[in-house]
Order: sequence, then structure tokens, then C-alpha cells
Amino acid sequence: MSQVEQQPAVAVPQEAERSASRLRSVLFNQQFLLAVALAVLVIYFTARDSAFVSTAEIAVLLTNFSTLILLAVGETFVIISGGIDLSVGAICGVSGVVAAFATRGMVSSNDNEALVLLVGTLVCAAMGIGIGFINAALMNWARLVPFVATLATLGAGTGVALVLSNGVPIGSDSSALSIGADRAGPFPYMFLVVLAIVVVAWLYLHLSRYGRYTYAIGSNAFAARVAGINVRRHLTSVYVLSGLLAGLTGMVFYIRLGAGAPSSGDGFELTAIASVVIGGVSLFGGSGRLTGTILGALILTVVTSGLIISNVSPNWNQVAVAICIAAAASLQALRALATPKRRS
Amino acid sequence: MAYRVSVRSKAARRGLAVLAAASVALLAACSSSPSSSSSGSTASNADSSSGGKITVAFNMGAEADPFFIAMNLGAEAAAKSLGVTLIWQGDPSVYSPSTQIPIAQQLLAGRPSAFVIAPTDPSALQPIVNQAISQGLPVVNVDTHVNDLSKVVSFITGNNQQGGAAAADAMAQAIHYQAGKSYQIVVGASSATTTTNTARLQGFEAEIKAKYPGMQVVSEAYSESQPAVANTNVNNWLTKYPHLAGIFAIDGTNASGASAALQSRGLVGKVALVGYDAYSTNVALLQKHVFAALIAQQPYQEGYMAIEDVVKDLRNHSTAGIQHLVTLPNIILTPNSPTSVLTKYTYPNA
Repeated sequence: MSQVEQQPAVAVPQEAERSASRLRSVLFNQQFLLAVALAVLVIYFTARDSAFVSTAEIAVLLTNFSTLILLAVGETFVIISGGIDLSVGAICGVSGVVAAFATRGMVSSNDNEALVLLVGTLVCAAMGIGIGFINAALMNWARLVPFVATLATLGAGTGVALVLSNGVPIGSDSSALSIGADRAGPFPYMFLVVLAIVVVAWLYLHLSRYGRYTYAIGSNAFAARVAGINVRRHLTSVYVLSGLLAGLTGMVFYIRLGAGAPSSGDGFELTAIASVVIGGVSLFGGSGRLTGTILGALILTVVTSGLIISNVSPNWNQVAVAICIAAAASLQALRALATPKRRS
Repeated sequence: MAYRVSVRSKAARRGLAVLAAASVALLAACSSSPSSSSSGSTASNADSSSGGKITVAFNMGAEADPFFIAMNLGAEAAAKSLGVTLIWQGDPSVYSPSTQIPIAQQLLAGRPSAFVIAPTDPSALQPIVNQAISQGLPVVNVDTHVNDLSKVVSFITGNNQQGGAAAADAMAQAIHYQAGKSYQIVVGASSATTTTNTARLQGFEAEIKAKYPGMQVVSEAYSESQPAVANTNVNNWLTKYPHLAGIFAIDGTNASGASAALQSRGLVGKVALVGYDAYSTNVALLQKHVFAALIAQQPYQEGYMAIEDVVKDLRNHSTAGIQHLVTLPNIILTPNSPTSVLTKYTYPNA
């Protein structure tokens, strides 16, 4: 008797609880909240000055976004694998400078700009891959932890960029500048290229075996090795990938400035890491989505430009970014508390 | 077990190899980097007039800054012609008392014959200058100065306020300023704490107030020494102020970022860009009319005169004949300046 009566009494709250938890999982979903935050920011800045959503300004935002997102994507792979890559900003600077040296002669003799950009891109990619390998070698061979290994290449890369360039931007390539500014509506072509790379990276991280291995190693490197994953080789490829994307970012900077500036990536590793953290990727590795990183990078880009458009004192910029980071990180912590049985 | 032993010995061998490689690299770097010491050692042998070796320790603000690179070349040239040894040291890229003080202390511990410093803070570096004076060294301040200059041989500087005022004049000319009309101007600076930026902006704003009331500084933003950030700032302004008349790029970084933005948006000649620092790339852009004007400092001259002054003081054992305060003017360069002038003031970078 009592059993029969009890059943519906239990089932109803279960149903309610399930839909409540579904609602909660949407509301507490990092990506969802980030998208809401992004929308709020865009609406707010547009209300301050409607020029914020003009075609020209959207193109500025997307160009900015292009200089950040590749670094952030590389950093996402690294952080999901349980590591950190501090060298990405330095790789941008040094590869941009070396590319500028490599193409300077071609630019001054008015060679075909497409060829200049191709050579520059290849040089940047090679520099990035090379430094990525050095990072991996320092970890695998000299047994440094990622933080220390990439800290070393951060210092060395920044220093070499300054030594090579004497601190001044190298080259003056006005054709690169105009190519960098070419766009279809509000979409700069450079952004579309970057976007294609990001999409490929997304597919790789979330749908391929490569991505699954990255998550597995980040969750538990020992278990991953026991399961037959060649952890060292995989991590090498992750740092090489991060280096490659950073090298390509060096080329994006070159196109944007028409020159290879040694300081162009200074401190960008922290902005990239901030995008990843805001995007909800755990610094402990093994969890997070690339979509989050993309939204994080968008938010940082929008805040930086929006504050200038609304004529806010520039000192507030850093404070605003700090607030974004703290809010996103605490959200992550609260979400973990609210849903204790979530799979990591 | 055997496996573990072999790994450990392999790891140890690897460790030694890494250590060896690192020390070789370090030695190579040490022997190649201070170009001044090699030129100095030959020069000091030739120093017979004073009887002893003269070693001048020169503590600059930030080694990679093109301004200080040009200053280094001036100081080296003076050291060579006077037959003294130059020790050129400073933080690679950070312009700050916290990085400068330990380097200055290290230099003084090396017992040089004279001490030249570009103090990054007027109060924080005062004790260092006092210490050098109490060690009996002649001290010269260059570019920036400490609060108490009474016992310092000389202070050689560029005039940043005057440079800012000159920039305002150049801007007025570039936008064909007419009384009664209003013009929107923006200023790209490096950070709120860079003293040279502040002095230039003060000079700029004071000149505007006095002579060009129609010019209005509508916004200011910081690049944090990154050309890409400077570029973003300018791009945002171009959106925000469609009728922008002019941009004052207060240092070399901002000049790079702003010139790229104007070129990429096809606004060369439509928005007047007045920049600071005659990097060779900037001078080339000036000749292409991307810059309406460039303000050049004279770092080479500052470095040269600083060495001259301390050596004169050491050899004569007095400050007689040494000018205590030397202010070198900032020079306005325009696309119409003669090539000889442009060449003279372009920062000599390798």
C-alpha cells in the first residue's frame, strides 16, 4: 500500500528536480554565461556610442581578435594537456622580427606582395615550430616543468628579438598594411584566414583522437601512459602546435604593423592565458572547451576597444580585465560547488 | 632495477650535458655582448695623458630602447676619442628604479673612475648618486636627473616640454590651423608613469592653450610600449572621431602603431600625424608624408657630452669650464627638411 502511494510522490519531485537541474546546467553553463556577458557588453558600449557597431569598428575588433585568438587557441591545447606555455608572446615578437628581416629585401625591391607574405608566413611558422620544439626538448630532455621551460624561452625569445632589431620595428611594408585592411563587409580577409585555422583547431580538439589524447593526458598523465598513449610525443606536438600558432600570430602582427616589432607580443601570453581562464578551461588540465576560449578572447577584445570608444580613462582598462578574470574564475568555482557530481 | 639505475645515470649525464651547454652559451654571450669593453681596452692602453686607466661606468635606463642605443653609440665614440674605457649597463628593457638600483650598486662596487647615470626616478636614485659622490667619483646625470644636483658635475638633457610645444606648433601647421575653427586631437602615450611622456604632454597642452585654443585634446590612451596596442587605440579613435584632425604620437612605439593605422585605413594626408623619435623607419615614413612632422631628440649628443664632461673633470681635477646644465633642444623634422638634416638627426641604429 504505502509503496504504491509512495511511487508517484517520489516521481514528481524527480521530474521537477530533473528539469530544474537541466535549467541550472544551462544557467551555470560557462559558455552560455559568457555569451550573455558578451552581449551585455556589446549593448552597453553601443549605447555609449553607436559607432561601436559600425562596419569599420567591427573590422577593428575582428582584427584585434585575430592577434589574440591564435595564441589563445594554442594555449587552450597546452592548458588542457595540463601544462602552460609562457613563451607565446615572445615567439610572436621574435618571429615577426625574423620574418621582417627575411622579407626586407623583397619589400624594398617591390617584389610581389603575395610572395612576401608567403615567405614571411613560412619563416614565422618555422620559428614558432622551432621554439616549440625547444620548449618540448627542455621538458622531455632536460626535465624542466612546462612553466620553467617556457619561462626560459620567453626570456630568450624576447632578448633575441631585441638584440636582432636593436629595439626598433624592422621594415616598412605598406602593401602588407593595405592587405591587412582589406575586408569583405565588416570581415577582414586576415580574420577569415584566422577563423579557418580556429575552426580546424576546434575540430581537432573536440572530434579527433588527438583531442581526446590531449584531454586524457591533462586529466591523468600516468593513466594515459598506462593506456598506451605516448605522452612525451603527444606533449611535444602540443607545444609545437602552440609555437606554430604563436609564430603565425607574429605574421598577423607583421601584416598589421607593416613591420616586425620586437615588443609586439610582450605580455600577450598573459592575455592569452586570461582568455583561456575566462573561457572556463581549468588550469589543472583535462577540462574545458575551445568555444569558451573564443568567447573569452572576444570579451577581452570588446572590453579593450569599448573602453576607448566610451572614452574611459585608460588606467581602468586593466581593472576591467581583472574583473572579467575574477568573475569568470569564481563562476567556475561556484559551478563546481553547485553541481558536485559533475564529471570533470 | 637495472632499468632504474640506467635511467638515473642517463639522467645525470643529461644534466651534466645541459649544464655544459648552458655554460658554453653563457660564456659565448658574455664575450660577445659588451662591445664597448673591447674597444675600451685598446683605448685605455693609449691613455697616457692622465697616467692611469680611466673607466667610466654608464648606467642607462633601458638597453633595448633605441634612444639609449643611440646614446650608447655617442658615449662609445667619445670614449674612443678620449681613450677611456666605457662600461655600459642597465636593464635590458624595463625602465624602472627597482631594476636600475641593483645594477647601479653593482657598477659602483666595481670601482669605476667616474659614474654617468640616467636616473629612472628623481628620488629613488638619489642615494646611488650620493654614494658615488662619497666614493669620490665625478657624477653626470643624463636625460633625466635626481633631485639634488648640487654636487653633480653636469646634467645633460633633451627638453621634453619644449619638444611637446614644438609638436603642437608642427600640428597647427599640418592641419592649417585657423583661429575660430575647432579641431579634434588625440594623444597616444605609453603609460601614466613615463615621465618623458608627461613632460611632452604638458608642453603640448600648454602651447595649445596659449596659441591654438581651437585645438582640443579629446582623448588619450596608453600603448604599454606595444605598437599593436597603439595601433588598436588609433583605429578605435578613427571610428569614434570621424572628423579627427590630428594625432600626437608621443613616443616611437605610438608613432609606429599610428602610422600603420593611417596607412591601412587610407587616411594618410587626411589625419595629421605628429610623432616622436627619429627611428630610421619613421624618417622613411616622414619622407612619404605619412608623418606630418617628427620630433627628434639628440641622444647621441647627450651620450657624447656626458663622457666628455666626466673625463674633463677627472683630468683637470675640477669642474672649471664644464657647463652645469646643458639642455639640447628637440628638433622638428618635416617632409620638407633637407636630407642632410634628416640624416643628421636619424637615430644611428645598426
